[in-house]
Formats: sequence, structure tokens, C-alpha cells
Amino acid sequence: MAVVARQELRDLWIGGRGLVLAFAFSVLLSAITYLGATNQALNFLERREAVNLTLQVAVGVGALLTLLAAADAISGERERGTLESLLLTPVAREGLVAGKLVAALSLWFGALLLTVPYVWFLGHDVGAAGEAIGTGALAGTLLAVGLTAFGIVVSALADSNRISLSVGLFTLLALFAPTQLPAGAQHGWAGEALLRVNPVTAAEHYVGAVVVDQHGWTRDISWLASPLIAAVALTVVAVAVMPRFLRLRGGVGG
Amino acid sequence: MTLEAHALTKAYRTLVALHELSFVAGAGEVIGLLGPNGAGKTTAIRLLTTILAPSGGRFAVAGIPHTRPAEIRRRIGVLPESAGYPDRQTGAEFLRYHARLYGHPAPSARATAAALLEEVGLAERGKSPIANYSRGMRQRLGIARALLNDPAVVFLDEPTLGLDPAGQEQVLRVVRGVSRERAATVILSTHLLAEVEEVCSRVLILNRGRLVADGTVAEVARQAAAPRRGRFPDLGRVRPDDGRAGWLVVDAADVDVQGATAALGAAGITVLAFELEGARLSDAYLAMTEAG
Repeated sequence: MAVVARQELRDLWIGGRGLVLAFAFSVLLSAITYLGATNQALNFLERREAVNLTLQVAVGVGALLTLLAAADAISGERERGTLESLLLTPVAREGLVAGKLVAALSLWFGALLLTVPYVWFLGHDVGAAGEAIGTGALAGTLLAVGLTAFGIVVSALADSNRISLSVGLFTLLALFAPTQLPAGAQHGWAGEALLRVNPVTAAEHYVGAVVVDQHGWTRDISWLASPLIAAVALTVVAVAVMPRFLRLRGGVGG
Repeated sequence: MTLEAHALTKAYRTLVALHELSFVAGAGEVIGLLGPNGAGKTTAIRLLTTILAPSGGRFAVAGIPHTRPAEIRRRIGVLPESAGYPDRQTGAEFLRYHARLYGHPAPSARATAAALLEEVGLAERGKSPIANYSRGMRQRLGIARALLNDPAVVFLDEPTLGLDPAGQEQVLRVVRGVSRERAATVILSTHLLAEVEEVCSRVLILNRGRLVADGTVAEVARQAAAPRRGRFPDLGRVRPDDGRAGWLVVDAADVDVQGATAALGAAGITVLAFELEGARLSDAYLAMTEAG
């Protein structure tokens, strides 16, 4: 697994898409931070709300990056004709999947690292920087692990890279959709249950509760149940079950 | 025997892709695997290389039964049909990575990669990205990858497909070297019969998933194909409608050669020599497969 992970990390970060995606992520965060900072100056946005907005975007986009990388991991190899060579090596298929999962997940940690200065800039003088970075790291990591594992599952099952990426993006959009519901629809037991069950909305709610409402680390920790369950369950499925689906597609051949 | 297959079968629901393939191969043999498209060549290779699980039958590589696929993968080398390569990696990086996957420590992986690049004639291009390689260079890189673990059996699925004559010759030279110098068994799947006649010690012909011929090139050619043509040179007075003056060429399948000889004698033409052109592998191939 370590050999696969090392090579995948190398391919992703040295001359690969990793640096380009990190640059695009930085540009996006710069724009969000600029908007947050100017809104603060105009008193349209509380300082903690600006930190929360930047953090939510960082978590959401960071998770999206890992999902995109994971969705390409296996279906991409299949499409490029490189999967058969990997399957012919004596490396356990679980090791191949785990190595690719680790590499895709590295995009989240890269994104988190890039987020730190922006959050510090917005939140250090109201004492929100430390807790924002901590909660963002906790909730974002759970979310990123779950989405990376989900991307691997889709990639192992999909016949083509296009299908894999489409299913991954559609699912992510569906998970983010409840955040756009009117505030009224998010209250009541049904609304809260919907937010709690959805790992994305649950993670973002937890971040907001700690950063904006200053609820402390533990008061709303139960909101992290669904991101945690999703991360563990999907990782188990990806690493233990999906290797059985790691095979070539197509007909009988010659 | 380094490779043994007994009644090896692969079925996809109602479609039988390979039906009870049985053969044995010894060290240093180069076996040509022939057959038209859809005959089951790639299926046979994917079964023997553990990529597919058999529906029936059994096989063993270097004495390791097919029920231990991970161990078999340590003893085989494979150039898959239409193998892809990571364009951004250099040839040397690609080989080092795969050597590591076979368990080589980093220094050994580096040394093995360098030696194999030399062996397949890519030493000078080892530091170039694979994106810049020609098809022939990629095929030779694929063969080098197949040799990383010093395999007992090497499977090459259409290694010369799409190569120009010079590229084909380079690949065949490497194949001969693998057989002679490494004493590895080579299974060479191809559509090019001349290639098989040139390098293979034995031929297996598949048709619709069934083995229809197994033997040396000469044996298989004789098995299905009658001699092609009889030639009577130096006949002097004979002026055929087409062809060379003084020579008579008859189709041995249609003409009774002995009768023709007698008829020439009766006409007062002295037959000084008679040459019977040997049967060809292509005749046998066409006779035995649906391609004919």
C-alpha cells in the first residue's frame, strides 16, 4: 500500500493536477476572504460570520476536490488502459485501493493547509481563528474521508470516467442542496433530522455552531455522528468490499 | 513443465469464450497463440494470468496451482493487449514503480529498471516521458515491465500490433532473447503468421473458443494443408499461357501431379526435376478457422 500511495502522491502533486487545483482553491479563498473582509468593514457581516463563511467554503470545496480525485482513481486507470498492469502485480487489491484513497485524501489536507492563513487573517483579532481551524479540520476531515471513500466506490463500479465523475458531482450537489433551503424548512424535528442525517449539512452546522454561536467543542458534537458514520462505513466498503469489483470491463476479447 | 492447462473453460452466461483448453509448455519454448478475432486468445491469456477466474478446468504455472493467484502473479510477466502507460512518468520511473510493486527495495528497483531498459534497447530514452515514446518503444517498455520479476512464463498479447517492420523486428528480437537467455516460456498471441513461423517453436490455434491445432509449425501446417503447388522446371519446349517459359506450375490441390508427369512423358517432354512447394501455416490456419 505504501508504494502505491507514494507513487500516487507523486503523480498527483509533482507535475500532476494537485498544484493546479491548490492554486485554483487559493484564488477562490482569496475572493471569499476579500468579500468577507469588505463586508465586515461595511458592517454587513459579523467577523465570526465571515470566518464561518470562508471555512464553510473551504470545507465544501476541499471535500469536492477529494471526491473528484477519488472518482478518477480506478475508472481513470481502466479508461487509460493502465489498470490491467496494476492488477497483474502481486500487490493485494486492498492495498491498491487504500493507496489511491490516501493520495486523493491528501488534496483535503493541502486545502486545509491553504485555509489556515485566510481564517487566521479574518478571525485572529476576535479569537475565532484557533477554534475555526480546529473545527474545520475535524469536520472537514470526516467529510473528506467519507467523500473520498464514496468516490472510490463509484470509481470501482463505474464503466467510464465520465459516469464516475458525473455520479460523484451529482451526489455532492444533492448533499449540499439542503443548505439552500429556506431557514423555516430547516427547523422542526423533520428539518433537523434531515440536516443531521446528511453528513455535509451536519458538518457545516457543527462548524457554524462552534465558530458563530460559540457553543464550544462538545455541545454540538452529536452533529458529527453522521459524518463519522459515513466516513467509517464508506471507508470499510471502499477498502474491504470494492477490491472485489476491481476488474476489467468489456467483452470477450480476442 | 512451466505451464499446464487442463480443460480450462470460461463462460459468460450462455457464451462460452473458451472451451476446455488443454496444453503444456516447457521452459524456453515460444508458443504462438493464433486465432481470428473472438477466438478466445485474450480470454485464454487473461485466465492464465489470473485476471479472470476460470469457469471450469485448472492450470498451473511453475507448479503453482491456479487457486493461488497471488503466487502465480509473482512468476509471470505480461504485456497485455492495448496496454496503457502513464504519459507523465519517464520509462525509468515506470519500471522502478512496478519493480517496487514486485517487492524490490529502492536500490534494487533502480538497478533492475536500468538493466531492463538496456536489454530492450531503451537505455538512452529512459529519462524521457513516456508521452514522447513511439508505439514500438512503448511495446518494448511493456516487455521490460513484464520481465521485472524474472518470470518463468511471459505472456505477450499482440506485441507487434500496429508496428512498422523495423519495430516488429526489434520486438521479435527481444522475444527471442527472452526465450534463449532467460529460458522463460513465451506465449505469443498474434495475428501475424510470418511472425509465428519466425520465432515460435510451437503453435496453438484457437477457433470459437476451442483448440483446433497444437504442434510445431511444420506439424500444424501438414495437419490441415495439402501441398500447395507442384513445379516442373527446365521443360524446354513448354510455353505456358502465363508464367515463365520452360516451367510448368500446377496447383497440387486440383491437378493429379503423377498424372501430369505421365502426360508430359507421353508428349515427349523430359521431366528433369519436380518441386513440390511445402504446405504453409497460413493454409492450415485458414483451413482450421472460420477466417478461412
